[in-house]
Amino acid sequence: MTKIFDNISLYLSFLKASLKEMLIYRFDCIVGMISQIVTQLVEIIFIWIVFQNTDNLAGWNFMQILLLYGVTLISIGISDFCFDALYDIGPKYIRNGEFDKILLRPVHPLISIIGSSKEFTSLGYFGLGLFLTIIMLIKLSIPITIILILKIIFFSIVGAAIIGAINTIFSIASFWTYRSNEVIWSFYRMYTFAQYPLDIYNKFIRILITVILPFAFVAYYPTMNYLGMDSNMIYIAPIIMIILWVIAIKIWNFALKKYRSTGT
Amino acid sequence: MLKSMLALGKMQFNQYNIYKSNFYLFTLNRIVEIVVYIFVWQAIYNQTGNAGEYTIEQMITYYCLVFTLSSLSLWGVNEDMAHSIRNGNINKELLNPLSYFQYYFGVNIGEMGFALVVGMATFIICSLLWSITLPVSFINFLLFIIVILLGIPITFFFTMLVGTVGFYSSSIWGMQILRKSIISIFSGIIAPITLFPMWFQNIANILPFKELIYTPINIWLGQITINEIAFIIMKQVIWIVILYMLAKLFFNHAVKKVTINGG
Repeated sequence: MTKIFDNISLYLSFLKASLKEMLIYRFDCIVGMISQIVTQLVEIIFIWIVFQNTDNLAGWNFMQILLLYGVTLISIGISDFCFDALYDIGPKYIRNGEFDKILLRPVHPLISIIGSSKEFTSLGYFGLGLFLTIIMLIKLSIPITIILILKIIFFSIVGAAIIGAINTIFSIASFWTYRSNEVIWSFYRMYTFAQYPLDIYNKFIRILITVILPFAFVAYYPTMNYLGMDSNMIYIAPIIMIILWVIAIKIWNFALKKYRSTGT
Repeated sequence: MLKSMLALGKMQFNQYNIYKSNFYLFTLNRIVEIVVYIFVWQAIYNQTGNAGEYTIEQMITYYCLVFTLSSLSLWGVNEDMAHSIRNGNINKELLNPLSYFQYYFGVNIGEMGFALVVGMATFIICSLLWSITLPVSFINFLLFIIVILLGIPITFFFTMLVGTVGFYSSSIWGMQILRKSIISIFSGIIAPITLFPMWFQNIANILPFKELIYTPINIWLGQITINEIAFIIMKQVIWIVILYMLAKLFFNHAVKKVTINGG
């Protein structure tokens, strides 16, 4: 158990180093953040167009969908910030031999890699998500109580951890293909499915994002809880998070045993 | 000249193709993006009996074609340009017997070739998953191809215009995302232009990006008359000239300022 806490505290100090680095590249960071927000605005324009053609989507109105969108973005922002380096495992670490150095460190290599994440631009997602969430909670006249705030904080972190675990699981592809980024990205993108009510999808996709890649627990079920549409599914999210991380770490350790250096 | 450009294109194509997984994953990405749009429009259609101003089959075809074509207009050589400015390779590129524009047009051919392969695969998978309407006539299909081909230099010169910013600033990345966002909105990638407000449509009618996605797809669907198409092709040619001149002027100005970090 102490080992786990050691690893977590080490991770936090890695994170602090990254934050300091962010202050050095201030300009790049701001440009990145703005461009992240712009890409999201493009998606929001689509949602707006949808509601020019209908007044509800499977029972959800415009503001409710935007709340779901905002809550998702908060988790996406956190997970991009914390787990971004997973994309680099293939191209940056394994292909050119960096990974061998990391194996020699007295830390679990997963912590070393995740700790080197520094996707500050994801703060653009986070900021936009927070903004949308607050505005929509007010517009929907949902009382913002302390309990609700704590719930949103807790379940946003859980959501981010769920995404992080899924990305970690797919990142092992880099041990074989030497390029993790596209593999992770392809599956990660499926989180966008859970930005709309599940009722619009067919059975296959519903099972896909609740059971196989449980992105629905990142924001969809939590948002239903905040809106009072469904109160229980949200509490499964932490359990799913734990299960996914156990799987992710097991799979990683298995892949580590199989790892062969490229010899570069 | 043409030969060396094609050779460059082939090199770029092969670079993508080294990893066969690239092809599958890029195609999977396309499908993932299409799924959301199609299910949302199907839901709207089921609730209101209306999908924009199209029938539901037309709307599904619209989005399948969007993602068949979108890589042609969203991919580009910006990253390669920025990369070679940063590591000093630009030196060699400027001294090439091919001009800088010719060199990158060659690279761009490879990029487009790979985009086309991914696009075709996307289209085939889509036609297995959903029922897609075929082009209304053979003439329409030919015109569809012509308008798309004319879109390639438009995208290319616009990319060069954006890429040249890299001579002034080291973070071209943000500009690139901005370029993609502008194209996504004004070309009709996220939704048919006619669903946007009037003032927006007026801007989109002037800009050349609508002809990259929205117009060819509507030619496919038979929503545009032959007379209009003649006008569209004229507009495209004019924009090619304008963008070429702008890109060239900007580049000639920027290249004088180029400072190379060793390399």
